[in-house]
Amino acid sequence: MVSNTLQSTKEQVEISCKSCGSKLLLSAHQLSTVCPYCGSPSVISRPPSEDIPSPTFVIGFQIDRERASELARAWLRRGNWLAPTSFKKALPNLIQGIYLPVYLYGTTAHSRYFAKIGENYTETETYTTRDANGKTVTRTRTVTKTEYRSLQGQHATYVMDVIVSASKGVSNAKFQEIEPYDLRAIRRFQPSMIAGWTAEEPSRSQAECFGLARQETHELIQRKLREFMPGDSHRDLQFDTQFSREFIDFALLPVWCFAVRYSEDKPPIQILVNGQTGRVAGKAPVSAAKIGSLVVGVLIFFVVIALFAVLMGQG
Amino acid sequence: MDVAIMTCEQCETPLEKGDLRCSVCGFTAPLAHHHVVVEKKQVLRCTGCGAAIAYDAKRQAPACSFCNSLVKLETIEDPVEQTEGYLPFTVTSDDARRALQAWLNSLGWFRPSDLTSSAQIRELKPLWWVAWAFDADAVVSWTADSNHGSRRSAWAPHAGQSQCRFRQVLTSASRGLSQLEASRVSDGVNLQQVHSEPMGADDAVIEQFDTQRSQARQQIANAVYDEAKQAVRSEVPGTSIRNLNISLVVTGLTSKRLSLPAYVMAYQYKERLYRVVICGQDTKFLVGNAPYSVFKMVMVGLVIGLVAIIFLGIAASS
Ligand SMILES: [Zn+2]
Repeated sequence: MVSNTLQSTKEQVEISCKSCGSKLLLSAHQLSTVCPYCGSPSVISRPPSEDIPSPTFVIGFQIDRERASELARAWLRRGNWLAPTSFKKALPNLIQGIYLPVYLYGTTAHSRYFAKIGENYTETETYTTRDANGKTVTRTRTVTKTEYRSLQGQHATYVMDVIVSASKGVSNAKFQEIEPYDLRAIRRFQPSMIAGWTAEEPSRSQAECFGLARQETHELIQRKLREFMPGDSHRDLQFDTQFSREFIDFALLPVWCFAVRYSEDKPPIQILVNGQTGRVAGKAPVSAAKIGSLVVGVLIFFVVIALFAVLMGQG
Repeated sequence: MDVAIMTCEQCETPLEKGDLRCSVCGFTAPLAHHHVVVEKKQVLRCTGCGAAIAYDAKRQAPACSFCNSLVKLETIEDPVEQTEGYLPFTVTSDDARRALQAWLNSLGWFRPSDLTSSAQIRELKPLWWVAWAFDADAVVSWTADSNHGSRRSAWAPHAGQSQCRFRQVLTSASRGLSQLEASRVSDGVNLQQVHSEPMGADDAVIEQFDTQRSQARQQIANAVYDEAKQAVRSEVPGTSIRNLNISLVVTGLTSKRLSLPAYVMAYQYKERLYRVVICGQDTKFLVGNAPYSVFKMVMVGLVIGLVAIIFLGIAASS
């Protein structure tokens, strides 16, 4: 294979197309491109550096361009009933299908926890009331009460498959909305898997991604501990987790990006479609007019109910 | 053939060919041979016609846009794997027949009086049924409620953590035997003697494993979970227990696919068939069903009812 010298600056990389020889400019975080002149797909492989590792894993696209557009349009039409009508009628504009850089994180999590465990019991209590004739009578009833007992202990578990976005273009919170990915379809990275598609290198540092992953893991442990608690209920759960044997792998996951411009004076809204499962996520704008009419509608409803109650009381 | 046996660096579970990540803890499997990545720009070309290749979402593989041929990818292997060894039959079919007769005799008074004399053995089939035997170590964290230390409520919370060792635990992979039958007859086998060929019964039916590796791992993981839950149950103080929850950190999980000997028998009593399964290495381990005598049960019911009425009568008159 003929290797090419790359003239790289910090922001951009210049490569020449191996098919037609035209010069192509890639932004520094791009891993692949398609030559606009002859349509040949190119993939760059760089030696892994400390900050920019080479991908270990990749999940291929399963949702093609047409299907992704359909899903995005369907998402716009339904499910956003408070959005302005102009938004629901807007056409999503395909930006691109990209292989998003992510980190797969795993660890062994040892936690020490404290909680108050609620154990229910029933008691029979007596109470006084008036019977149908207006006489005061004493009756009994059973009531369920809860006693709280403190519990402390240890919990250990493997954590795997925590995925965080390593791209500055897609926030981790936004990425979580199109999760999960089916990791059974994961492949070891090879350049042919991304040929013809846009792939990015991580634009967030590994340290930052570690932080995001630990935060996600912390939330995961909290959910696990809530399920782990015995009793009928619990409260005041506190825990302290130590992570050992952490590992992190750079992977490329398929995402379709759309932008919706529904108004001249508003910024476009980003819609993401999971390139494997077709799950759609985006933040629909809220129409002030629709909120207003909703509030008025609810108020009218209550006024009518109140009037009705008053009339019934008089009648 | 040089097959390197690799184990997961984190949890010491053996990795199999084609594993990209550890199935127990998710740790990344090391590359068999390290590629040295040099800085390069590639146009990937079709080996058939030389045209450029691009990944095709519809076909989920890189494809040549020109001649439409696909590029073969390293695929995840998920084979259906067959048995690694047979445990020999040491019980003959005659032993099995006698064991059935003895069992029918031992069932007790509520069975029909002519059960042993009228039961006809219709079928007696030696079978090598399939199971996994696993070894594993695990840190088991648990919580539960029990009556121990309870105050106003009948329940008090407890928690603990312990180290469990599982060695040669059998879990059924059989479709031919029910879960109950398998667990009963598996207690009678000696796992120390495993042969590479079927031994002790010439006409035995050999059951095949029919689960893919990924599914087999899932079933084994479930069995480890059940076994661990059973193991820590005895550590919960008190006599009645509820809400037993466990969390596992499993290390060194290894498993073996085995074929175990059993006789599957069917006997007929008054137009109906009943099924019995006997361990092929020890006839004490037998599981099956048998008819009850409806006549005897009705009679006993009547007698009890009669006695109760008489007692009530006496109580009422005094
Ligand atoms: Zn592992």
